[in-house]
Amino acid sequence: MKISRKVRVKNALGLHTRPATAIVKLLQGTKASVFFTHKSETVNARSIMSVLMLAATKNSLITITIEGEDAQEIMGKLVDAFEARFGE
Amino acid sequence: MYNVDDLYEKHGKPLGLELVAGKSGLSRSIKLPEVHRPGVALSGYLKSFANKRILIFGNVETQYLKDLKKEERIRRLKSILTPQLPAVIVAGRFQPVSELLALCEKMGIPLFRAKMATMNLLTRLTIIINEEFSPLMTCHGTLVEAFGVGVLIQGDSSVGKSEAALGMIERGHRLICDDVVRIRVREGTYLEGSGPELTRHLMEIRGIGIINVAHLYGAVCVRDDKRIDIVVKLEEWDDHRFYDRIGLDEKYCDLLGIKVPYHVLPVKPGRDVVLLIETIVLNHRLKEMGYNSAKEFNTKLLDTISKKQNAKKLKNENLSQSKS
Repeated sequence: MKISRKVRVKNALGLHTRPATAIVKLLQGTKASVFFTHKSETVNARSIMSVLMLAATKNSLITITIEGEDAQEIMGKLVDAFEARFGE
Repeated sequence: MYNVDDLYEKHGKPLGLELVAGKSGLSRSIKLPEVHRPGVALSGYLKSFANKRILIFGNVETQYLKDLKKEERIRRLKSILTPQLPAVIVAGRFQPVSELLALCEKMGIPLFRAKMATMNLLTRLTIIINEEFSPLMTCHGTLVEAFGVGVLIQGDSSVGKSEAALGMIERGHRLICDDVVRIRVREGTYLEGSGPELTRHLMEIRGIGIINVAHLYGAVCVRDDKRIDIVVKLEEWDDHRFYDRIGLDEKYCDLLGIKVPYHVLPVKPGRDVVLLIETIVLNHRLKEMGYNSAKEFNTKLLDTISKKQNAKKLKNENLSQSKS
């Protein structure tokens, strides 16, 4: 199953090291392939450096694309994390 | 979309471009990766005039315009300065005629002056624009240079790409980038990889964190870009999979339409990945030099077998002769 959804970065500092760590941690143990697309760049969300490379600021749009059996579940968790501003 | 501003910002200095008019048009897009000298069009022949290309005025164009009467000059210039035109460059330190300056300013077409001789500018600009328009992709992997060969290490997350690269650096090879590799086709024939500016020369190692390789190991251990000569895919060892044992069949992978030698390298405890990658690289170099170990061995083997068979045949023949 392949799903994709757009989310907005809501925390003030954007996707810096802490949120990126949270994302990678959240994805640990899951199987599906997860990609973030920001502007024209698509990166593997499991790699912290790739996520950091996006240097996404507050309010920027990120398209999450997930392919795999547990896609729906992962998408829910990721969207929640973005919505909760990664606890910031 | 690539526009004049991008070109000016990135290549303006090396090309010696100086903006003299039409600043408001810097956001014009460049739709074709070509440059054009408008000689014939300037003389009035406008059939199939390339109005989407950057125009370059050299000595001839400037002289010709000067020789024309003022009204005619304006008329001819107006006919080639179309709304789609990305930019105009006057090369070879020539002073653009005042009408050109005024028209460009009025129409918002960026007008540049360049110090470089017209032919040099033409060649360099053609190469630069072509490279900017060449296909590009981003892939997950690590790019290192070993013995002068560019190796793109691919594989799933946490298979040990970064650790392998670290081992390579420790052995005196170079890191180009880790995790995100930007690949571009160069001259339509080969691939070049580089890393994004922000994470250049940085690596993330599980259990340590983010390290700066250039600072840790010195400038000698890094470089900004490198041609990709081979792709090595690291994979968890799978007992049910058959791995290449001889190396006679050469495998290739396709990246942006370019064929690159491809090796699948199974990883398991006890297999020194760094040493294995080094061996693949050395073997690749040997092949480039015209020596293929596997083929050479195969030829030798076939030769030995046929010699043996011949000897057997000869023996049998002798035997039957002596009997009769």
